[in-house]
Amino acid sequence: MPAVPQAITAHAKVLRSDARVLAECAERLREIGARLDGDGVAPEWLLETVNAHIAACTAASADLAEAATRLHVYADRVRR
Amino acid sequence: MSGADASGNHLRSDVRGEAAPAEDAAAEDTPAGIFPGEGAMAKDAPAGDLPTGGALAGNTSAEGAPAGGAPAQSTSAGDAPAEGAPAGGAPAPGALAESAAAAQLLRTAARELSEIGVAIQEASVHATAALTDGTVLGALPYAPAEGYRAQRALLRVVTDRRGLGYAVAGGRLGALAARLGGMAGAESLAVLVLATSLRLRITAVALDHPELVDDPLLARLIGAVGADRDIESVRALRALLRDRGAVRTLSELAPVFGEVLALRALLDENPLNDTAAWLIATGKGYASADPIIGMSNRAVAVLDTGEGGARRLEPAPAEVTRLSSEGSLLGFLRNIGALGTTGRVLIQSVAGPDGVVRHVVQAPGMRSGRPDNGSPQDLLGAFSSAVLDSGPYSRALIKAVDDFGIPPGGEIALVGHSAGGAAIMNLAQDPEFCARYTVTHAVAVGSPVDFKKPADPRTWIASVTNQHDIIPTLDGQGAGGCFDLHPGWYVVDYSDPTHLFPICHSIERYTANLAHDLPEARDRIDRQLTPYRGPVTRSQAYLLSDRDPHPEGFPFLTVPTYPAATSRGTLELPVRCQDGSALTAYFAADPGVAAALLEGTGLGPAVQIAGRALVAVHAFWNRRTSLGGYREVHLGIVVHDPWRPRPFRVWPDLVRRADRRRSGSFLVGSVVDTDTVSAVAPEIWGCEPSVVPLDVAVTARSARVVVGGPDSRLLAFRGPLGPGIPAGAWDLVGYSRREGATLRSCVETRGRGRAHPAPRARLTVGQAAHPMARHLRELGLDGARPLLCLSTVAHQTLRAAAVPMRIT
Repeated sequence: MPAVPQAITAHAKVLRSDARVLAECAERLREIGARLDGDGVAPEWLLETVNAHIAACTAASADLAEAATRLHVYADRVRR
Repeated sequence: MSGADASGNHLRSDVRGEAAPAEDAAAEDTPAGIFPGEGAMAKDAPAGDLPTGGALAGNTSAEGAPAGGAPAQSTSAGDAPAEGAPAGGAPAPGALAESAAAAQLLRTAARELSEIGVAIQEASVHATAALTDGTVLGALPYAPAEGYRAQRALLRVVTDRRGLGYAVAGGRLGALAARLGGMAGAESLAVLVLATSLRLRITAVALDHPELVDDPLLARLIGAVGADRDIESVRALRALLRDRGAVRTLSELAPVFGEVLALRALLDENPLNDTAAWLIATGKGYASADPIIGMSNRAVAVLDTGEGGARRLEPAPAEVTRLSSEGSLLGFLRNIGALGTTGRVLIQSVAGPDGVVRHVVQAPGMRSGRPDNGSPQDLLGAFSSAVLDSGPYSRALIKAVDDFGIPPGGEIALVGHSAGGAAIMNLAQDPEFCARYTVTHAVAVGSPVDFKKPADPRTWIASVTNQHDIIPTLDGQGAGGCFDLHPGWYVVDYSDPTHLFPICHSIERYTANLAHDLPEARDRIDRQLTPYRGPVTRSQAYLLSDRDPHPEGFPFLTVPTYPAATSRGTLELPVRCQDGSALTAYFAADPGVAAALLEGTGLGPAVQIAGRALVAVHAFWNRRTSLGGYREVHLGIVVHDPWRPRPFRVWPDLVRRADRRRSGSFLVGSVVDTDTVSAVAPEIWGCEPSVVPLDVAVTARSARVVVGGPDSRLLAFRGPLGPGIPAGAWDLVGYSRREGATLRSCVETRGRGRAHPAPRARLTVGQAAHPMARHLRELGLDGARPLLCLSTVAHQTLRAAAVPMRIT
């Protein structure tokens, strides 16, 4: 039985890390958009698209963080 | 890269890969005709990745080349006036450099977006794994409330439209759910980010190819695909095809062909092509399936089976004169052009400047014809060479190289065009081959080789591709590629005004571009090939096959042989002809003369048709036989079964195989064109042919048989044969007389023949005193048209010795 909470916790840790990755993705997208815009090479459609991706990455990051938290709680409860 | 074609049209090229020697860099900055900005872009950028931030600023070398190795540099080139003003309407150099820099920025961003897409996809896979993990689900009874909330949160992660989208991925369950979602049109954030990456790649290419966005039909298609408007995409494609035709449409789309297909595959509802689209978009590997319907490339490629075979072949004299006698890039490419797509390859030995003899394998592209035709250079072979690490083409090449006799460790350069380029790269990435020989160079022209990896890292690789050539993009990476797939390779990716595929794919076009429009690329490759630049000391062509070829003549000519003593020495019987052609023409002749010719032979009467005697002229051109090549012509009276003449049953008997035939031709005159055959024929077959000049030419439509020289013409039979009915080749049974005995000899034949029931050719008989001419005149055949002709354009024959018969 101790293996079960460990497995759940492992998932939680991975998702927590992914939440950070998604936040970084949002940041990289922002940089890309800004860079191309600054250089004047961004196509017309790009900024709107990139902004949508940034918003999605931010929401996904939050979703992942929430799921990681829920999994931690779940694992703690199972451990008890 | 610079260069302009004769019309003043400018070429665009990307050159990337191995570092340029310092002297090259210096040289490239100075010559007239190179734009100031272009010198920078044409430098071979050092291999390496861009900084993750993607910034190029500040990372320029003294020559202006971006340090850090931009994976793709786009530039325009052309011979500009000395003062740098654009000529003939060519874009200004500054604008070109600016456009190239902008394209580079877009490609860099596209690559970063692709990395982001991959990271998002990994998160989706992790979330799906947590959601579908049996351990997590199995613990629900111990903490139902907390477990439920966790599961609900996980479900939200992989279905939240505002977040990862429909992001179920990974594992069997995930893959199945992803496919179902794909069919329902549910898209994930990862896919959308990759789509954005692809759209940026298209935008980057469009800077070099403004026609992609300026042309309303092309722009409409690309726009519809990018916006995932399926019906509009189909309509736009139809409009394009209607307006331009398939060839022009493909040619014009070629620079973004992979990107457009991948974009459509990512966004459409077909789950089968998603993996291929993913591979194209991320540059992770060869497109595993066609991005349209998703048919597995590997599944198609494995249909190309065979261990590969190679047989030495002498090129035709006219081809030999076209082969280069000096080693050089253009020489090797011209050799490939001279060979053509005929299923052959060429291996040459070259004495280098240091006196060392090295070897160059030259491999042409796909052979036209059926998709699978026994040659590894067929469509399937091209496919397998591109998709697989080893195929019949590369295996056949190995056999050719082994047969050529290169010593172990011998240095080899590999040069290939189209499928040949993929095949030579398969050799370069074969560890066993590279252990036996030292593959120093591989030059692939117009080939899909982006995912080939040489076994020996010291092998110098060059890839030359025209951006409007679709073939190199079949691995999914084309002009829009944003990945540094092979640092260290010398890549020339250019565009010339000839946008039309397949013209721009031809070896002649590539050779012409390298000769006239891409002098720096040519010089660079030639410099690398310096050890192979010297006089050619040996050339050998090979005919390749999917499998080791059968012994020639197998199985028909694989028969027991025995020696036969003749006045010209010992011969091997039966005489075997590997390749020949034949014509038999049947005439209606004077029956009285025919009867007179048969008198005393024990044979007869002559077979009659409408009261006339049936007479045959048999002509053979035995191109390759165990007696050497020779021609022969016989005049025969067609006779019945010597023992049981059957007026009606003779007709089916005449078309039986020789071993079952009773009727035959009593030979009353024979001629050949070689002394040897003339000397041995009486001893082997009984007939006594004289030697005269002969010309025998038979095609499916016409025939020409000329016996005797201009001053002593015996006969001439020439003209159209009329319609032909396909049939097997006909055997010949000949009767002859020797020392009072009647002999029967057979010519057994295998091949495809034709019966011509209404020939229009005509026989004319000369005035020569030769018995054959005299008999023909007496038979009344001067100026006659035959009743029937039987022709075989290519056959094999077996002739045993004649057998004496006792006819009472």
